[in-house]
Amino acid sequence: MIFDDKLFEKFGVEYAPNEIIFCEFEPGNEFYFIQSGQVKIVKIINNAEKTLDILETGEFFGEMAILEEAPRSASVIALGHVKLFRFHRDNFETILHGNPQLAYKLLMIFAKRIYDQKRRLMILLLEEPQLKVMDVFNMLAEQDPHLDLQEAITLKITPAEVSSWAGMQPKDVQKVLNNLNQLGKIELFNDKIIVKNIRDFQRVVTSKRKNLYS
Amino acid sequence: MSNGFNKPASNILTRTYKHGSIIYFEGDRSDVIYILKAGRVVLTSIKVDTGEEIKENIKLGEFFGVKSAIGHYPREETAQTIGDTTVLVVGRADFEKMMIKNVSLLTKMLRVFSNQLRRIHKMQREILGEGETINPATELFKIGEYYFKSGNLQQAKYAYKRYLEHYPGTKFSDLAMQRIKTIDTGGSNTDFQENAPLESEDDFDSRSGNNVDLTDFSIDNESSSDDSGSQEMHDFFSDDGGDNILGGSSYHKEAIPTRQKDITEMFYEAVSLFSQERYKEALPLFQKILNIKTLKNDSENRIFEKAHFEIGRCYLKLNNIKDAITYLSTMIKKFPRSDNVKNAFLHIGMAFESAGKTDKAKAYYEKVISMEPKDSITKIAMKNLKAI
Repeated sequence: MIFDDKLFEKFGVEYAPNEIIFCEFEPGNEFYFIQSGQVKIVKIINNAEKTLDILETGEFFGEMAILEEAPRSASVIALGHVKLFRFHRDNFETILHGNPQLAYKLLMIFAKRIYDQKRRLMILLLEEPQLKVMDVFNMLAEQDPHLDLQEAITLKITPAEVSSWAGMQPKDVQKVLNNLNQLGKIELFNDKIIVKNIRDFQRVVTSKRKNLYS
Repeated sequence: MSNGFNKPASNILTRTYKHGSIIYFEGDRSDVIYILKAGRVVLTSIKVDTGEEIKENIKLGEFFGVKSAIGHYPREETAQTIGDTTVLVVGRADFEKMMIKNVSLLTKMLRVFSNQLRRIHKMQREILGEGETINPATELFKIGEYYFKSGNLQQAKYAYKRYLEHYPGTKFSDLAMQRIKTIDTGGSNTDFQENAPLESEDDFDSRSGNNVDLTDFSIDNESSSDDSGSQEMHDFFSDDGGDNILGGSSYHKEAIPTRQKDITEMFYEAVSLFSQERYKEALPLFQKILNIKTLKNDSENRIFEKAHFEIGRCYLKLNNIKDAITYLSTMIKKFPRSDNVKNAFLHIGMAFESAGKTDKAKAYYEKVISMEPKDSITKIAMKNLKAI
């Protein structure tokens, strides 16, 4: 789905390699569509820039600005020379009416995000710190259908990311991780965590969740 | 959501079920979408936060199973029939075609989805305590610091500029401005100094949407007494912004043309001098900006507008009350929609206060207090009013 030049005249912006398109924590009112080129989504985690994703022609970013004005959750940086469409929240509906393909793409993104965020909500609703951390692992395991859950699984996640998903202080997460490590349930590395028996974690969380409701 | 289609496309299947049949179970993975054609379908799901069982009736002509099919995740509910029921089974590709032909339905669905998403975010925030743990202003500044220390100066500059623009008058304004100057003068992180520890601070305001009607400003001639104004660092300019894409003529490159750099740099320099209390040196630079006749783009317009405000503040600092009021009121008249209008009113109030015209000062402070949004400027006005 590539738009014509007329639309580009109105909404087009170009960025040079390495230029920041928007920065984590700045307020956002616009969402972007990549007309050509690549951008990287990054976050500063533990004093290091971590690339979360690379997006290409035809993809969106910053779409959460459509819903509410909230600080950006990550920074976006141009990888090479990029051409983008930049749309303000206020003319969201007008743009969609003229570009149903774009609207459909957003519908898919929102559907996916509703699921992901609901899943995170389920983690946040658990009360015990240990359960929250376990459920972050469960969630990651669910996201990768190729994992063999009967075996030990390797999850590409850092303690900082676990604390962000679980909505916990890093030091509390570290406590839980150390404890699980000592019990031999997980192995900790700098950039990954190995979970020995994810089925076990799933069972524990499921049964606690049922108790929570009753 | 009624789909509005009477004639299904060729590869859409019709399926009939007996009473009590399960069309799909919660947890199933599938990429088809259903439309209820005849009979009844009930969706049963468990509410995430309470564990409550929710039953939802599908209306005739309504879609179900949409989110999980197009979002590629397991079904979140169980779909069961009541009575003999007929459904249409639509694949993802056909669903897409149907939706693209029916934009009003598509936008309606988008609205439903975005409301759901917003509700989920709200619940998350409630659990997390409204994000009390992090302050976006401080975090944005820290991003600047990260890039500054790692030598990515352009990225650092971007973050500092945004910090000054979005969170003006907060804790690290001076430091951010100093850093930008260091970067602009070819400095590097070698002259990096340790600064006050980064703590969370609650003074985080956003000023937007000031659309103010103008009331009288009569300018008084007397000037006297000292200026006890706020030390609030004023916001910088940005080289792009939300509103310009509404204007329609907004195509611009981030690469900065040469002349724009001049005016930009002049402004930086002036603001920097101002922050070092070198008002007499800042003044001619602001004046130079005001003398520029042709402005090329939105970014230059914004600098031009901000220079009007800054020069007023500069005169105020120099105790030239008359000129301060003249420039500030000119700014309000010339740029009534500017984000700085409220701040200009505040400074006019401060100017009158310095001149001993407490009645006028009071009136201006009261005006500022009445203006939305309630932010740090409101607080200063309240404080000053109380002190009178």
